[in-house]
Amino acid sequence: MRGSGKGDVAADAAVVTTRDLTKRYGPLTALEGVDLTVPRGSVYGLVGPNGAGKTTLLSILAGLRHPTSGGVELGIPRARTAVVPDTPSFEPWLTAREVVALARNLAGLTADPEPVERILATTGLEDASDRRAGGFSRGMLQRLGLASALAAEPELLILDEPAAALDPAGRRDVLDLVAGLRGETTVIFSSHILGDVQQVCDTIGILRHGRLLFQGTTRELLVGRAAAAYSIHIRPPSAPSATALEAEAWVTAVERSGEDRLRVTVSSLDAAEAGLARVLAESGARVVAITPVEADLEHVFLELTG
Amino acid sequence: MNLWRVEWLRLWRTRRWLALAGVFLFFGLLGPITAAYMDVLLGRLAGDVQVILPPPTPVSGLEQYMGNAMQVGLLVVLAIAAGALAFDTPPERATFYRSRVSGAWPLLAPRYTVTAAAACGAFILGTAGAWYETVILLGPLPVGGMILGTLLICLYLAFSVAVVALSAAVLRGVLGVIALSAAILLTFPLLGLVPELRPWLPGQLLGALTGLVAGGEPASYVRAAVVTALATAALLPAAAFLLGRREV
Repeated sequence: MRGSGKGDVAADAAVVTTRDLTKRYGPLTALEGVDLTVPRGSVYGLVGPNGAGKTTLLSILAGLRHPTSGGVELGIPRARTAVVPDTPSFEPWLTAREVVALARNLAGLTADPEPVERILATTGLEDASDRRAGGFSRGMLQRLGLASALAAEPELLILDEPAAALDPAGRRDVLDLVAGLRGETTVIFSSHILGDVQQVCDTIGILRHGRLLFQGTTRELLVGRAAAAYSIHIRPPSAPSATALEAEAWVTAVERSGEDRLRVTVSSLDAAEAGLARVLAESGARVVAITPVEADLEHVFLELTG
Repeated sequence: MNLWRVEWLRLWRTRRWLALAGVFLFFGLLGPITAAYMDVLLGRLAGDVQVILPPPTPVSGLEQYMGNAMQVGLLVVLAIAAGALAFDTPPERATFYRSRVSGAWPLLAPRYTVTAAAACGAFILGTAGAWYETVILLGPLPVGGMILGTLLICLYLAFSVAVVALSAAVLRGVLGVIALSAAILLTFPLLGLVPELRPWLPGQLLGALTGLVAGGEPASYVRAAVVTALATAALLPAAAFLLGRREV
């Protein structure tokens, strides 16, 4: 496993720690030896392809499923945890206000209406507070799921694909809301939308086939790959330059995009910095721009899980 | 808003109370009329054939009521109880509740209590209707036998809802829970084929109302009542234990 894992993320500052967590459903292994460490106050992004084991892991963390072996240590009381599934469901004959009030009651909090109204407003449900949940769209149900979770004033908030059904504006609202919780509430956030994870999360875990391939800060995940590729803009034709670059030992791949763009992936930053300009000059290229390509989560994710 | 209020709202807003009260009251009002005018009804259906029936008695009015109420009515009770007690479906809704309470008992207790109380209330309403009509059409009924018999039937209904709770701890889907509960309740009378067991079976209580009104001895229902109460008391913790172990 790359990244810091148990290194940079101090276990004693962790809200959630799992040790060699394994979950099997008959012959199917959903999770295998997962050592997760979620720092207190962080927004932890859990990403992975479909079937990677994200929902199983979140369910175990929420206490809804039992591990086959290994263990989960919570740095907070279980009652201070709230979980929102990817498609929240409520009694269809309860209003949004009643759902939030019920969530507060189940968390042992007061029946004071002020926090209920505030949470409904925060999640954009103030105009729908007297409507029954049975008439809600999937996006509104996700907002209500978030509202019912926030109503419990949790120390640990577990969100499974919280923005999957929302329109762009709604997604922005939810991401802002989650980002605003940083430092106050620990959030574990699973998502297929890698851009969302990159924007909101400060710590990331990548799951594949039930194994944690990477765990560390977003910076650790991306910075090491920040200059692994260059985008080169040259005057056509680009083919001679591409051929010349492919012949270099430190070049691992050359992708042509049209007649004037090259994406060059390199194995050595030092070699690339020393040789890139030379090779282009020798190939007769008329260089417009050379730009280091910043790694984004999508590329890193595909590299790790591909 | 708490889990007890949620259960009352479930009954009220989904109109389940109407289904429960409606079915028992319907048969409560229909039973004595059917008994009182059975000879007329059969005479019309039989055409030229002369049908001679013994004159209707107050007990036959109640028998008509109980025959329907404890078949159709009991099925309605099972369906409504399954709707409340099968709380692990759908899983997303189960997540809302299960992640917020410790163990299954806080969820089971209000769902069982409110459903059983509603079933008993509906039965009492239907019985009151049947009693009133029987008195009007067929003659008076002994008060002591009516009250004790009604209470014993309520005990059987509470037992039936507890059977649903256990079924919900075994299966998840509402239809499966109804089917399993009905199968369990239908299997119990088969044990009555052994004469020594019959006085101990919960199903004996189904005959308590008409039996006591007809002059039966209350003592003949004590064993069944004790077994039914003990079984109910055992089924609920068993259901809570199984539900508490189940993964969502």
